[in-house]
Amino acid sequence: MDEQWSGFSYIVTNLARFIRPNEITFSGVNSTLPMLACLLAKRAYNWDFIYINVAGGVDPVVEHIPLSSSDPALAHGSASIFSNEDFYDLCTRGRMDLTFLGAAQIDGEGNVNNSAIGSWHKPKVRLPGGGGGAVMLPTANRACTWRTEHSMRTLVDKLDFLTSWGGMSGVVTPIAVFVKHEGRLALDSWHPEVALDEVRERTGFTFDASTAKPTPIPSDNEKDALATLDPDGCFERDAAIKLR
Amino acid sequence: MPSGYISKDKRIPLTELAARISDGASVALGGSFLHRGPFALVRELIRQNRRNLEIIKQSPGYDIDILCRAGVASRARAGIVAMEGNFGLAPWYRKAVETTTLELEEHACASLTAGLRAAAFGVPFQPCGGLHGSALPALNGWQKIEDPYGSGQTVFVIPAIRPDYAVIHANEVDAAGNVRIFGTSHWDRIMSRAANRVLVVAERCVDTQTFVDSPETTLIPFFMVEAVSICPHGAWPGSNFPDYEINYPAVEAYLENSDEALRRHLENAPEMAIEGNRSEVHG
Repeated sequence: MDEQWSGFSYIVTNLARFIRPNEITFSGVNSTLPMLACLLAKRAYNWDFIYINVAGGVDPVVEHIPLSSSDPALAHGSASIFSNEDFYDLCTRGRMDLTFLGAAQIDGEGNVNNSAIGSWHKPKVRLPGGGGGAVMLPTANRACTWRTEHSMRTLVDKLDFLTSWGGMSGVVTPIAVFVKHEGRLALDSWHPEVALDEVRERTGFTFDASTAKPTPIPSDNEKDALATLDPDGCFERDAAIKLR
Repeated sequence: MPSGYISKDKRIPLTELAARISDGASVALGGSFLHRGPFALVRELIRQNRRNLEIIKQSPGYDIDILCRAGVASRARAGIVAMEGNFGLAPWYRKAVETTTLELEEHACASLTAGLRAAAFGVPFQPCGGLHGSALPALNGWQKIEDPYGSGQTVFVIPAIRPDYAVIHANEVDAAGNVRIFGTSHWDRIMSRAANRVLVVAERCVDTQTFVDSPETTLIPFFMVEAVSICPHGAWPGSNFPDYEINYPAVEAYLENSDEALRRHLENAPEMAIEGNRSEVHG
């Protein structure tokens, strides 16, 4: 069998599958893969949604896909500029249907650490910080995240620091898709070229997998959309995502 | 002293703009990551050997990194710090925090905005949505209060953040200091309202009539602006919509780990080529 998914296409496409018709969906800074997921969903699905982003774009017509997910190119063709203060306020007043938020460590409840590895005051690694996470994760209707590495150090039983609480509704790694079920992350599906046991062995928290199945392969529309977004494979090369 | 700045010509060289910021000041920097930051002014602070600055910005990157690298910044209030694109973490910022040469007050971007809003609104604190369950409020001593009107909701309140200066990189100013920005204004508007003093670096100076023709596009009116410097390409190596994009090779060259790379980066910066901006060095 030909390889149906690369780690890159797996993450981008499965993030896109969390987007729902008619909803307000946001992608922010440092979020190249969610940016691509939003642009993919606009191209691949026969329904529409409201895409807003940190560059101020509202349903932009993006002609040149930028490396930086906060690039002004993401407001091209937008009929308004929705500023940073605006989208935070939209979220805290309960009108953000779906936001994508970054995560360095994720625990079994879908809470995240973006602050430090080791102690906060004497960090082994100072991480970027959570950006909007602490405000958006508990106030958005749904939030999803991604990790390009599926390992015991990224999917952990206990976070080194609780930057953002509220529980991700969805988590995508190169080999697995988790969804929140009754306050815990449950396995929704796994990469068909990886065994379920391997997902368990590489995950630091325990999870329910009773309804999980291999991830459905990408549709032709999803494949075509991703190919138009990354015709030269630049994003895929830069992301350098490995299954193992 | 009057509350506004009435002068109709506020244009000064970049060196003099930077010289107004004293050692130990708190400085809010406009833009976000590599986009439309007041980077020419940031570099000038390094050339003038400024020390102990507090940097306030929701999403700094190159600016806080180079200020840490040069030993200019000793404190930061920030929500997320990275070089972005394919560059990842900001290496000199990271090192400065890990070695405790930079004292960090970690925010969510919106909590920093709430603190700036408190200052802008003239009140001692500002409620901020979310933050429940996060360890950040305890870390920073943020208080949670109950709705005094009886809804039963609780909300975190962020103390006012009043920077000594806001420094904004703008697309256009006029001589009097009216300010216009194209594309998103990021956090620049609230910074300009929160800070005690507003300094502006702009790509170009246009006639006041240009502002009069569409006053609703003016982000900051002249009376709030203390001084401006005209510095084309001043947001280099970042972008300034719609005039130029990120110069990725220049960012990559900046990230080379040597004193020589930093020296070369500072020397090759666009502001060095602007006559008038480099004619007199103060400070």
